[in-house]
Amino acid sequence: MKVVVCVKQIPDPADPGALDPETKTLKRDMKLILDESDSYGVEMALQLVDAAGEGEVTLVSMAPNNERSGLSTALAMGAASATLVSDPALQGSDSLTTAKVLAAAIKDQSPDLVIAGSESSDGYTGTVPEQIAGVLDLPSVTAAKSITVDGSSIKVQRQTDAGHDDVECPMPCVVSVTAGVVEPRYPSFKGIMAAKSKPVDEKTAADLGFDADAVGWAGAGQEIVDVAEAPQREAGEIVEDDGEAYTRIVGFLEELKII
Amino acid sequence: MAATMFGSDLVDTQDHHPELRASVAGVVGKFGRKYFQDVVERDAKPTELWAALAESGFLGVHIPAADGGGGGGLADYNIVIEETAALGCPVLSLVIGSITAPIITQHGSDDMKKRWLPGIANGTLRMSFAITEPDAGTNTHRITTTAMANGDGWLLSGTKYYTSGVDEADSILVVARSGDPDPSGRHRLSLFVVAADAPGITTQDIPCAVQAAEKQFTVFFDDVELGPDALIGTEGNGLRQVFAGLNPERVSAAAINNGIARFGLETAAAYAKDREVWNTPIGAHQGVAHPLASAYIAVQQARLMTARAAALFDEGSPGAGEAANMAKFAAADSSLVALDQSIQTLGGNGLALEYGLADLWFVARLHKTAPVSREMILNFVAQHSLGLPKSY
Repeated sequence: MKVVVCVKQIPDPADPGALDPETKTLKRDMKLILDESDSYGVEMALQLVDAAGEGEVTLVSMAPNNERSGLSTALAMGAASATLVSDPALQGSDSLTTAKVLAAAIKDQSPDLVIAGSESSDGYTGTVPEQIAGVLDLPSVTAAKSITVDGSSIKVQRQTDAGHDDVECPMPCVVSVTAGVVEPRYPSFKGIMAAKSKPVDEKTAADLGFDADAVGWAGAGQEIVDVAEAPQREAGEIVEDDGEAYTRIVGFLEELKII
Repeated sequence: MAATMFGSDLVDTQDHHPELRASVAGVVGKFGRKYFQDVVERDAKPTELWAALAESGFLGVHIPAADGGGGGGLADYNIVIEETAALGCPVLSLVIGSITAPIITQHGSDDMKKRWLPGIANGTLRMSFAITEPDAGTNTHRITTTAMANGDGWLLSGTKYYTSGVDEADSILVVARSGDPDPSGRHRLSLFVVAADAPGITTQDIPCAVQAAEKQFTVFFDDVELGPDALIGTEGNGLRQVFAGLNPERVSAAAINNGIARFGLETAAAYAKDREVWNTPIGAHQGVAHPLASAYIAVQQARLMTARAAALFDEGSPGAGEAANMAKFAAADSSLVALDQSIQTLGGNGLALEYGLADLWFVARLHKTAPVSREMILNFVAQHSLGLPKSY
């Protein structure tokens, strides 16, 4: 079983992020790390291949400056190899262009299954997995909390507000995975050392058949016209307990659909 | 959390070290200071933490891959120990593993390596280290525990003390006299691996102020029978062989203290950022900020020296001995200053167990005395680095 996992390398969320005032995009010219939301996809893929008893997990990533620190983490977790697409021409790519580029890198590998996180922790568009499926003309399942292989199909528990839906989908297909549904392993020492010699195939936009003017700023179908500060969080409501305050708490939790 | 405050770019010597730090921090982060305090308070062992470290291969990073380890070196083990301590879990047993494994690796027979190293690496076997005696502390030449020839083996008799963790050990690596004295009349030393439950061994615990999971023991050997396979390396060559473990021990002791210092300063800085007594965080007062900044600089210097000493040991450099001594010296002194200032920063809370600082004190203080005293390091440096006359 061959599983490709899309992984994004992002600035460390523990460090304060900064926007480039000219492009109005996040500065990404530092050391990047594996997006935590993708570590769930990597873990799920590794578990599926373990359960299948054969096959391998490979990675696909698009990042500036041939950055591979985050890929190293996923390789140390157990992925076999990676394809890294890095090209100055790709700077400014919107989510659809990103999906096209990743799809081109995935297509060569003819995987049984493509796994991605539901959304990145720095961009949050939450659209790339489905766009990849669209570009590759593959069926797509979103918000997976568990995946099992059943012959040539997969069975997916798809998270919903009320619980989950049971979904069956033929392979090959694209599945986006909800964050927090598995516990990603921390790389072992042997995994960390082995990652050093695992192959990372570096590709440019041209290698994947894209003209420079079809990607990046030139090819983006959208434009960031303005960035505004998020509004300050409003002060909370203080309820003096007159013996009935619990009903307000119950009401509040019901409103949030927690109870 | 791989603490961003103590960025590792300064100290790491290999490109995989940041990844290793993050992974150790992730594994240990599931436990943390509260877990460790609870273990110590219950007089229990950090079994779950030990198993988690073992499962990720972190206990054996410094053991050759052919012997079931990770195939890395002391530079990697330094990171494992420091990160573990930096999350409030100063595991002294990790220091013991830095002594025994390199001695067996460098001087043990193939059978001995096969018998012990995979188990030490995967956490299923423990080997204590017994060198200190009531009448022979720093002066190892005065050791009186003796292995008398007995058939094709030996009979071991004598007393060791401050032997850590014998209650958990499967075996004890014992430094003892054996064979004929050298031409100057000094007794030669040899190293033996002795089963911890061998007939003739009794132990007595030594109550200590150190709030650690590992206990200290006096160990009595009374005509303990040793077979020929108990000897490590060459009979009479023990003093030279034991240094394969003593330099890593100094680096590992430094690593624990560097981790404790990080835990203290991170706790204190977070507190000083939030705590307001008048109308500004106390960290804005230079009386609070400067001592912490000064402590930070000293701790970073100690970490740098420790990482360099570990790298030199891995390279087989003759400079590893001096560097390991200086690292232990720097780490012991700087960690005590850092921890003291961290406690001071927290005011009364510095002494509250809730904040987990004050009960680290004697673990950190231990390494001003052991594994080699501050004074003996100064003697070593005075004599060997400065060429001054020996005074003792």
